[in-house]
Amino acid sequence: MTTLAPSAPAVPSPPRVSAGVRNAYGTELSKLMAQLTTRILILVCAAGPFAFALALKAQSGTPSDALFGFWVHSSGFAVSLVILGFAGSWGFPIIAGVVAGDLFSSEDRHGTWKTILTRSCTREDVFAGKLLAVGTVVVGLTLIVAASSLIAGVVLVGAHPLVNLSGVLTSASRMLALTVVSWLICLLPVLAYTSVAILVSAATRNGILGVLGPLLLALVTQLLDLIGRGVLVHELLIGSAFDGWHGLFASHPFFGQVLVGSLVSVVWIAVCLAASWRIMRRRDFLTGVSGQGPSWTAPVKVVAVSTVVIAALALGCNIGPNGVTNSRVISAIGHEFNNVTLLQQQLIGRRVPPNARFYIRPECYRPGMTGAGPGDWSCYVYVFLPQANSVPYQLQSVEYDVSVQYNGCYKAQSPPAFVGNATMQNAAGRSVANPLFIVYGCFNIL
Amino acid sequence: MHAVRATGLVKRFGTTVAVDRVDLVIKTGEVRGLLGPNGAGKTTLLRMLLGLIRPDDGSVELLGHKLDHLGGDVLDGVGGFVEDPCFYPYLSGRANLSLLAKLDGGLAEADEIDEVLRRVDLAGRASDRVGGYSTGMRQRLGLAAALLRRPRLLLLDEPTSGLDPAGARAVATLVRELAAAGVAVLLSSHHIGELEKVCDSYTVLRHGQAVWDGTSAELDAQAPQSAYALFTSDDAHALELAAQVPGIRVQHAARGGLAVAARAEDMDELAGALSDARVLIRRLELVVSPLESMFFALTSPDEAAALDALAPEQLADTILAGA
Repeated sequence: MTTLAPSAPAVPSPPRVSAGVRNAYGTELSKLMAQLTTRILILVCAAGPFAFALALKAQSGTPSDALFGFWVHSSGFAVSLVILGFAGSWGFPIIAGVVAGDLFSSEDRHGTWKTILTRSCTREDVFAGKLLAVGTVVVGLTLIVAASSLIAGVVLVGAHPLVNLSGVLTSASRMLALTVVSWLICLLPVLAYTSVAILVSAATRNGILGVLGPLLLALVTQLLDLIGRGVLVHELLIGSAFDGWHGLFASHPFFGQVLVGSLVSVVWIAVCLAASWRIMRRRDFLTGVSGQGPSWTAPVKVVAVSTVVIAALALGCNIGPNGVTNSRVISAIGHEFNNVTLLQQQLIGRRVPPNARFYIRPECYRPGMTGAGPGDWSCYVYVFLPQANSVPYQLQSVEYDVSVQYNGCYKAQSPPAFVGNATMQNAAGRSVANPLFIVYGCFNIL
Repeated sequence: MHAVRATGLVKRFGTTVAVDRVDLVIKTGEVRGLLGPNGAGKTTLLRMLLGLIRPDDGSVELLGHKLDHLGGDVLDGVGGFVEDPCFYPYLSGRANLSLLAKLDGGLAEADEIDEVLRRVDLAGRASDRVGGYSTGMRQRLGLAAALLRRPRLLLLDEPTSGLDPAGARAVATLVRELAAAGVAVLLSSHHIGELEKVCDSYTVLRHGQAVWDGTSAELDAQAPQSAYALFTSDDAHALELAAQVPGIRVQHAARGGLAVAARAEDMDELAGALSDARVLIRRLELVVSPLESMFFALTSPDEAAALDALAPEQLADTILAGA
């Protein structure tokens, strides 16, 4: 400083109005929106679905392993639902981690706790302001990607009816409503992941761990999905809450997983935020910028605790009833095969009376495995076709390879020799997706 | 009214007692210096006063309001910083102040932000990102952030750290202006010379305890001898005259002039004697001030004793070397 400009002596002022949560919220929101990572995330969430839809449009293949993936060229809602499925596995944990994982640790890194906590705001105000701001951004990003995926799907593919998870063609208006509701259902688990990121950030004062925390949890969820059969531990993980929307797309919707997932999310949010507030409230703000701050022991502790927790979860993931049972798989496959076969008949121009049914007997088993559980199943669907001659029925069988997930959702695929190619000609002579080629479905595991 | 009334403050970190039963009272309009060697507990004390850490014992009242460590309204009217001021590097200086003003309730208008930026001579760089600021510029922004709160109590930790001499002088002027307007100021600094220019009173910490507390006048009265470098028209005659004044120790300095250890009233007497003897004083430098000698005596008694034990010629060299 060379000189300080001459100034009039300061006049003591009356006490100021207390700054509250609103002020802290405005401040934190401004900070978040000024950060490059937030702006990049907004761009990715807004443009990413369009890029995905354009990439799909440019090729004939489909992401058929994802629920509704086979239908991405048939209905724009399938595009949005495929993106929702991916977001539930990885997208939402990334958004939560990037936005919230550095929420508290960035103040340590910049040494700014002492700057903001010596203003007219209580720690409670600052804490609440941070939560509200990060919640606003995360919810905003979720809604942006939801809107973007829907618009991209509708604009680039079209707002066409879509085959639901019971094999029934569902109107565009109903699909639109169900898709919107599905995205909204995911807000609570997204906020749960956000709370995890906040807790890790507050506890470790390490931004990298804060960002990675939700991703690690998502990874653990994915791993446990592969090895566990019991529903108890699965349903207690945030990742499982993203499966709740599947039940809406059945012809007879089931809501158990939505309710359980929402309740579990609320518990995660409450526990994580309570622990974060306890840390914030009791903390002595001793150091300036990071480097003088928490030592390397915090990340090591986090890794050690995470390892123990993951091991415990892996051991406990068979606890509780098995959600994927033989009777559930057989029932779901049987009903759905009937529906998609009728749909195929309609598509090729045959008249199908209301409530028509085939006489179907499915048999399912797990090759090389006993009992029930998620994994690869083989199903034989025996169809009894009426005949006019002395033998009343002609028996036909179709073999499906069924990949069943722990959450009760499955993908069934049959060789073209049984069900024809992926596409077929409809009554108008246009090429359409063959509903028997790949069959998606979900049954209630609770 | 007392701006600060801290009673029996104690802070322990494990087995270390960082602050040990410290009492501190600062009146309205008073500028108090907080001194102590490294690790004496100055920053910990300031952090407790700002509500950043919880005392293990004792209480703090700021501007008549009892402080708890959760901050809030009780910090209304209190400004300041500890250690180096920190801001968001990805925002400009002005944007940082706008955010802080928002935290304060949003009462500071844009023109008020411009005014404090102008007062600390940062108006020209206010739109630059703080990440590109020098240490001195961040220090000035810290002062601006404190002024933005229209403080009635300023708690400043090394406010001139990183500033050039003109900037440090400007800070001293600003502090005196604020004090004249009734603002109480607590200044923590290692620069004793800067504190002497602005402080009305002092608290000296050592090993977490307040080992001395009083006004400038009390300090002058109680301080050990100060050390001076004296250059005259006739050093030999001046040496004879000085030797006749009780309480003065004097010796030729190795690099010319005289090294004198004396209290202020003894120096007055020596000046009179030199004048009577027509020995002209060409330069008189205070090498070790009363505050410095008091600081050494209180915080480093071994060093003070060692200084006393030096032979006159060693003392002279030591003094003239800036001990």
